[in-house]
Amino acid sequence: MSFEMWAEKYRPKTLDEMVNQKEIVERLKSFVKAKNVPHCIFAGPPGTGKTTAALCLARDLYGENYREYIMELNASDERGIDVVRETVKTFARVRSIGEVPFKIMILDEADNMTADAQQALRRTMERYTETCRFILCANYSGKIIEPIQSRCAPFRFTYLPREEHDKYLRHIAENEGVKLLDEGLDAIYEVCGGDLRRAINTLQAAASLGKPIDAKVVYSIAGRANPADVQKMIETAMKGNFIEARKQLREMIQKYGVAGNDIIRQIHTEIFRADIPEPWKIRMADIVGEIDYRLVEGADEEVQLSALLARLVEAAYEMRGVVKKV
Amino acid sequence: MYQPWTVKYKPKTLKEVVGNKEAIQKFVEWVKSWDRGIPPKRAAFLYGPPGVGKTVTVEALANDLKMELVEKNASDYRTEEAVKRFAGLASQYGSLFGTKRIILFDELDGLTGTADKGGVKAITDITKTAQCPIVLIANNAFDPRFAFLRNYCLLIEFKKPSTTDVLKHLKGICLKEGIEAEENALKFIAQRSEGDIRSAVTDLQALAQGKKRLTYDDVSWLGFRDRQETIFTVLRMILYGKTCEGAKRAVDMADVDTDMLFEWIYENVPAHLTDPHDLARAMDALSMADVYRGRIRKTQDWSFVRYVVDFMSAGVAMARVNTKTSGWTPFRFPERIQALSRSKEERAMQLEIGRKIKRRCHISATRAAKEVLPYLRIIFKNNVKMAAGIAKWLDLTPEMIEYVAESKEKAAAINKLLS
Repeated sequence: MSFEMWAEKYRPKTLDEMVNQKEIVERLKSFVKAKNVPHCIFAGPPGTGKTTAALCLARDLYGENYREYIMELNASDERGIDVVRETVKTFARVRSIGEVPFKIMILDEADNMTADAQQALRRTMERYTETCRFILCANYSGKIIEPIQSRCAPFRFTYLPREEHDKYLRHIAENEGVKLLDEGLDAIYEVCGGDLRRAINTLQAAASLGKPIDAKVVYSIAGRANPADVQKMIETAMKGNFIEARKQLREMIQKYGVAGNDIIRQIHTEIFRADIPEPWKIRMADIVGEIDYRLVEGADEEVQLSALLARLVEAAYEMRGVVKKV
Repeated sequence: MYQPWTVKYKPKTLKEVVGNKEAIQKFVEWVKSWDRGIPPKRAAFLYGPPGVGKTVTVEALANDLKMELVEKNASDYRTEEAVKRFAGLASQYGSLFGTKRIILFDELDGLTGTADKGGVKAITDITKTAQCPIVLIANNAFDPRFAFLRNYCLLIEFKKPSTTDVLKHLKGICLKEGIEAEENALKFIAQRSEGDIRSAVTDLQALAQGKKRLTYDDVSWLGFRDRQETIFTVLRMILYGKTCEGAKRAVDMADVDTDMLFEWIYENVPAHLTDPHDLARAMDALSMADVYRGRIRKTQDWSFVRYVVDFMSAGVAMARVNTKTSGWTPFRFPERIQALSRSKEERAMQLEIGRKIKRRCHISATRAAKEVLPYLRIIFKNNVKMAAGIAKWLDLTPEMIEYVAESKEKAAAINKLLS
């Protein structure tokens, strides 16, 4: 077993090594061949190979010293307009020496950039096209402003198909000498969707227990690694324990920094999955929607969401009354 | 059911009463003198600031001397007729069963202006002819209303006990509750109370109940706040308010700012409004108050603050429809504020680790803290060897290792492998 992060260790190094996103890889290879790359948007859910594809492209294009020709900037950490102005400009305007006449700027999580920063970026992209090409990675291309979208070649990344996912994890498990049972693999796919980074992290954390990886191990890992246990919070509220539910909410927000609109989105999903009479689901949706709107208007996520929890407590209480009467 | 510590640890005998030794001695001598015949002053007038032990002294004395204590509060003697009903009681020293009797008129300040004028006059009449000791208690004996009454009274002043005395009392309570408290934490509470033992004990309970340890950090953040009694009164007026007007007036009385008062209400609503419908209504009111705070921020128009006040006070008060007001529920300090300052440090640490991960893993520090760190926690807890490898690979500091491992022993084992 090796002792680094496997998600990094098993990241493909070249486009040839990339097992998925076949069509995208083919197009990227043609860019390498022509030694010309347009501005690109790599859009798609997390863990589908966007950053990897960008890095592989760069390595194939520039060779082993590719790091000298690229810059990785993460919009989640530095999303202000000043960063774009200064860092990006400084990097973009200096011509590179070598076979390929341009450098590559990888802007990760670009959909987290402010609209202002995106506007600034748009001008920079235009002005320095000769010397620098941009690859924007984003979960939602819709959050990228139109003028930028129209300047970029769009690439849509999708979740790995099940066979590819299984093949990849089996390969890692074998290489690391870890016993991965079929039911464990099923569980990983169920828990992580097709998000390969999460899948590999789950595999490694499960392997650290030093036991064969079965479904039980995977579920326990997933439960512990996922602080935003919205389902549990809803259950607590529906049982009528408001104070405890609010405590769980507070922990999510304060300790783990989960965003309020992520929580409300999950509550919305959970309500339709919950074991409650059908007509109640739409009543609840109304309540969730109202609080969602207030969240936009209001100032304090915990206050708004705990008001929602109180409504859940109330609805569950009423529901018990109705059921009793029938 | 909770019991207020002010009741639970109320002194049972005079020996336990904190401070005011001289005043107590003077009072005891006067009461005992009744055994030798009616003294020149038939009433003792105990006066002094709130919470220094006036009522407690009378109760403890009655207990020590096995006397029957007839205790009356302001509400019992609003009018002349009401007081006259006690006249009969006051005409005999011994009760039916042979025990000696003492009559206490507490909270004399509670009588308001003209409406209760008859009350003071009736008390004065009883005092003139009383056959048993009468005790009067007020904060200010020199109020002009009592000018005539004072002539018939032995005046005994109760002063604020020293911080040392209050501190001793608080220590005694902690000992009995099995709470290990830092000296300077208790000292802080004692000093803040300014000699008001009742508020010091209330403070202590709100901060320490249910805890094993009380540290200076637990209490020091209260520093900016003024007197305790006010905030509890304000909360009571809001959470148990019957009218919108009354609840709104409470906000003006509060000596904390609107945001802080909001936190107090937000913390205490669920324990005091337990009916699900009431709770939902109250939380909805707070949610609306918060929406108006957002509107203020957006428009920078502070005149909207009146709606914030409406919802957080009157809105909450009107939410009470079904919840009964029985029993005593303690008010709690806003835990969220404490938790927030604690988790701020924690999040800074998470981000630092996130940056280390970012350098290696092509992921933003923010996302690394959220998505990778949880897995590291599991690994660090279960596999020291793998943890050491990753710690080295990520170049984590010993503090970071301890944070991720969530245990000193595990961290030590990991660090040992690294060296």
